[in-house]
Amino acid sequence: MKINDTLPLEYRTEENSNKIFGFWLFLGAEIVLFSTLFAVYFTLWNRTGNGPTGKELFEVGGVIWETFLLLTSSFTCGLGIHAMRLGLKKPMMIFFVVTLLMGLGFLGIEITEFVNYVHEGATLQTSAFLSSLFVLLGTHGLHVTMGILWGAGILIQVGRQGFTDETANKSFIFSLYWHFLDVVWIFIFSFVYLKGLM
Amino acid sequence: MARLFPIRHVMGYIFSLVLSLVALGVIYWDLTFSAAMVILIISALIQASLQLVLFMHIGETSSKKTLYLNIAYAVFVGVATIFGTLFAMIWGY
Amino acid sequence: MKWDEFFVTGEPMIYAADVSIVLVSLAIVIGLTYFKKWGYLWREWLTTVDHKKIGIMYILSALIMLFRGGVDALLMRAQLATPDSKFLDAQHYNEIFTTHGVIMILFMAMPFVIGMMNVVVPLQIGARDVAFPRLNAVSFWMFFMGAMLFNISFVIGGSPDAGWSAYFPLASLEFSPTVGNNYYSLALQISGIGTLMTGVNFIVTILKMRAPGMKLMRMPMFTWSVLITNVIILFAFPVLTVALALMMFDRVFGSQFFTMANGGMDMLWANLFWVWGHPEVYIVILPAFGIFSDIISTFSKKNLYGYKSMVVSMVAISVLSFLVWAHHFYTMGQGAMVNGFFSITTMAIAVPTGVKIFNWLFTLRKGKISFTSPMLYAMGFIPIFTIGGVTGVMLAMASADYQYHNTMFLVAHFHYVLIPGTVFGVLAGMHYWFPKMFGFRLNERLAKTAFWLIIVGFNVAFMPLFFLGLNGMTRRMYTYSASTGYGPLNMIATIGALILAVGFVVLCYNFFYSFRHSPRNEGGDPWDARTLEWSTPSPVPVYNFAKVPVVHSEDAFWHAKKHNVPLYEEGPYEEIHMPNNSGQPFILGVIMFFLGFFLVFSWFIPAIIAGVGVIIMLAVRSFERDHGYHIPPKEIAATEQKLRGDTV
Repeated sequence: MKINDTLPLEYRTEENSNKIFGFWLFLGAEIVLFSTLFAVYFTLWNRTGNGPTGKELFEVGGVIWETFLLLTSSFTCGLGIHAMRLGLKKPMMIFFVVTLLMGLGFLGIEITEFVNYVHEGATLQTSAFLSSLFVLLGTHGLHVTMGILWGAGILIQVGRQGFTDETANKSFIFSLYWHFLDVVWIFIFSFVYLKGLM
Repeated sequence: MARLFPIRHVMGYIFSLVLSLVALGVIYWDLTFSAAMVILIISALIQASLQLVLFMHIGETSSKKTLYLNIAYAVFVGVATIFGTLFAMIWGY
Repeated sequence: MKWDEFFVTGEPMIYAADVSIVLVSLAIVIGLTYFKKWGYLWREWLTTVDHKKIGIMYILSALIMLFRGGVDALLMRAQLATPDSKFLDAQHYNEIFTTHGVIMILFMAMPFVIGMMNVVVPLQIGARDVAFPRLNAVSFWMFFMGAMLFNISFVIGGSPDAGWSAYFPLASLEFSPTVGNNYYSLALQISGIGTLMTGVNFIVTILKMRAPGMKLMRMPMFTWSVLITNVIILFAFPVLTVALALMMFDRVFGSQFFTMANGGMDMLWANLFWVWGHPEVYIVILPAFGIFSDIISTFSKKNLYGYKSMVVSMVAISVLSFLVWAHHFYTMGQGAMVNGFFSITTMAIAVPTGVKIFNWLFTLRKGKISFTSPMLYAMGFIPIFTIGGVTGVMLAMASADYQYHNTMFLVAHFHYVLIPGTVFGVLAGMHYWFPKMFGFRLNERLAKTAFWLIIVGFNVAFMPLFFLGLNGMTRRMYTYSASTGYGPLNMIATIGALILAVGFVVLCYNFFYSFRHSPRNEGGDPWDARTLEWSTPSPVPVYNFAKVPVVHSEDAFWHAKKHNVPLYEEGPYEEIHMPNNSGQPFILGVIMFFLGFFLVFSWFIPAIIAGVGVIIMLAVRSFERDHGYHIPPKEIAATEQKLRGDTV
């Protein structure tokens, strides 16, 4: 097994370094996936049929909270990795727990928002605009959900085993994923909500 | 305690909050559509780069050229898909 | 869903299929039990993470799917042979051309190509396996279960019937009320995710796991083509993932993406489908180009002419392939600007392809050519593919396309591209690398007989379609009247299809014949070839290379043979680290199959349970601590002694 000591723990074995590289490639695919969803949304956003428009539907309050939570969780996630590289297990775990909790908070607001939309008669079936909105936001929300489950699994492993080649590698890859979800949210925030409210 | 909060991360975080606030401005300031879009696009792109460079450490290994190329190719396909779709389905009539 | 609609009824062909499925399944179960092979099957194949075995399973599945798709083709040709034929009704004909297209592209061409990659690429770059062997097994089982899900639609619930491109509004719930198109969206989704993971896996493998000294510009051309192909897979397949998900949402959850009311836009489906669909064409054709490059160079005894221009043209193709998709629907009604743009990009893509054709011709020039069966396929490919390419440029001209659009001319064009390109490519590759996989060559006489039947049959079957198309026969029409005058040419085409079918029978018979009669002691390099995979013994030991080869030039093995440079450094063997087998990928595949099946019929409670099953499998994998095993040097020495009769 080739060991490279000049890099942080998560890169040390060739296999783990390849995993990080492979995950970056996967994020490339994710960029295309979300771009396609944006393409659909931009094509359909003013085809509202008999349903409400974005301007009638969106409320800026919840969205600001969602953005704040996700930005902050991305920050704490980065701090977690920083703590990991310093070899500090407890701070790393605290940062990750905070990250996941804020992820849960984000999901809570998003679900409330969806429920409100449905109460106002804006459902997946109402119009092409709403279909594309729900699927774009839902795909991001599903990613966040999977991220929370995944991150919780990694936290358990770090708690049990401490920082090993493997747990460090998994934590780092998770952080890439989490930051990426934040990037996607920035685009949703700007081009779905803000552009819609303009 | 201070070493748990490296300056790069803190600055990145503050900068991303500021950029979000700037973007938020488009719904309160009285702007033309194109001016607002320019603000949204620029602030979103800076935010994305911040995450990539400061938080995701894209440039920290010897494969960084490949990683940048990967992101560039993905963005190329994404942009081609978005604008090509709009071109073929909406603008092109 | 009423229970009497669950099984497809009313057609003798369906009942025959029911009976044969039951009989074949019984035969497999009884055979495995009788010969006590359950354990062998599980240990050696279902749980394997070895790229060579996974590759063989891909190729085997592709051959079975080739048979299924080929039968579909013969049924269509039988129906069209004579005017006003009553052999198939319209509905049945629709289902058959749909499944023919889907199966041939996604469940035959794709796995065949991916199978070739699996078997060959790690060997060509001097690696012990792919970067993520376990993920590779997951990819295979996702593909396989997707293929099975698609195939059972024939007897349970009904096949999709809206064409392989499944255009809306025809594919919507309103106009296709059976579950057929649910099968389409879910089966393709499952296998598509597998393909996406293959994309990640092979890019990492090729970029990170090459033997020391093998710079990018020293890689064999097949490896280059696979790298470019996987880049296209990585960025094209997410679009398909989204398109299929939206289709499923429309059909299963009543969303309004592609509907005709409430703001839906039916042609948006066509747009998304071809954003993926056109790169997909290059995904199946580029590896074939790579195979031909290696074969032509080997059997001309020359290095490949214009190596750099080959690479540059493939990179150009990969970029351009994302900018041409709207040429599939020039007649939608968009303006001249759109058609002009896509017309120009489409014609531009013919340039790098032309460069490649000339490179192959110049490689042949003054070469010492030996006409082996792989070489015959390569030589047949060049002229026939050129016809396909030139007619493609005709179709690329938007204004002229209004005349050809959706006629038999188009059908002839893409068969002229895909059969000599992809099918000849993978068949050539199969004959070429067969000794590497199984330790013996296919019988040359039978292989050449099959080749001549296939190439003659192919031209007789598809050349008439160009003229039928120009005469106005549209694609997908299930019958025509005698007064159209289409009868004679159609009859000729059907005769050609039969010759083609006989060719494939000979090709398959050759497996059995060669298994019994081919000599087994031809060594690792029966073709006197040029690249690293031929430096290993055949069949290849599980660890591929006892020592990692050191590469000094392009065509490393040829260089080593001609200049007497050792490929391997002196010294004792070192311990080799190998991944363990695992049943998880297979189990995950089975769960995905059921998840897909339940969603097809909108059985949400079972679907949720299956979905939880998927998450549990992911968690099990995350918590697993499996560090593989090590092969000790003594065992390596013994294996090498046995396989090579000496020490390296």
